[in-house]
Amino acid sequence: MQSQERSPTEFLNNVIGRPVLVKLNSGVDYRGILSCLDGYMNIALEQTEEWVNGQLKNKYGDAFIRGNNGIKSIL
Amino acid sequence: MTEETHTAPVEPAAVEEPLDLVRLSLDERIYVKLRGDRELRGKLHAYDGHLNMVLSEVEETITVVEINEETYEEVIRTQKKTSEMLFVRGDGVILVSPPVRTG
Amino acid sequence: MAMSATNQLLPLELIDKCIGSKIWVIMKSEREFTGTLLGFDDYVNMVLEDVTEYENTPEGRKTTKLDKILLNGNNITMLIPGGEGPEN
Repeated sequence: MQSQERSPTEFLNNVIGRPVLVKLNSGVDYRGILSCLDGYMNIALEQTEEWVNGQLKNKYGDAFIRGNNGIKSIL
Repeated sequence: MTEETHTAPVEPAAVEEPLDLVRLSLDERIYVKLRGDRELRGKLHAYDGHLNMVLSEVEETITVVEINEETYEEVIRTQKKTSEMLFVRGDGVILVSPPVRTG
Repeated sequence: MAMSATNQLLPLELIDKCIGSKIWVIMKSEREFTGTLLGFDDYVNMVLEDVTEYENTPEGRKTTKLDKILLNGNNITMLIPGGEGPEN
């Protein structure tokens, strides 16, 4: 019914392999390449950077982010 | 159908779902970020779909921001604890980072 | 009974009518979004385009422009069709 890249699931399938910004409820942001995700919105990122109020705090090669903490991700 | 069981584990390094990242870190030292400004570094022995985990040789870092009552200065204090073996309840987990993978 | 049921506009039907138009989303926290609604699912996770994010802090309101986002439905409290946002 809905055309391409409209529904959340389709959106997510389209952003796999692309750089994303994941914002958590706590205000912490993660930037990285989206490797994959699952139905709980658990997220796997590559080349991950952790940003807290505009400052780079950490870098991780790979990172697993537990789904219940996430707010949103951006292209 | 029985063929499936033979074809499934062919690519052990493939990350098809986020939990694969955790699976590939079994018996490795990982970094775990928890709610309440707590961090853990330890060897991953077991986990489940809730991200409940068993870690060994764990170093826990707790970060506390205290405000000096007279100067109102923020003092960031870190406290370290070590445990031989630890169970982590999954609901507190924010992030899990495996050791750097090569190749 | 059956009549009132058919005349009723279900909440998700209202959101469905908003697809393609501007919408204003208010979160549980001091955060709001306006943007064009591209789609949503049963959890009311939403895909929004040309988004403005408003973060209300004691120091004032911080706005951020975002291209396209997926918004987790978990933390949404209210959706307002039209989407003029908190600044009007």
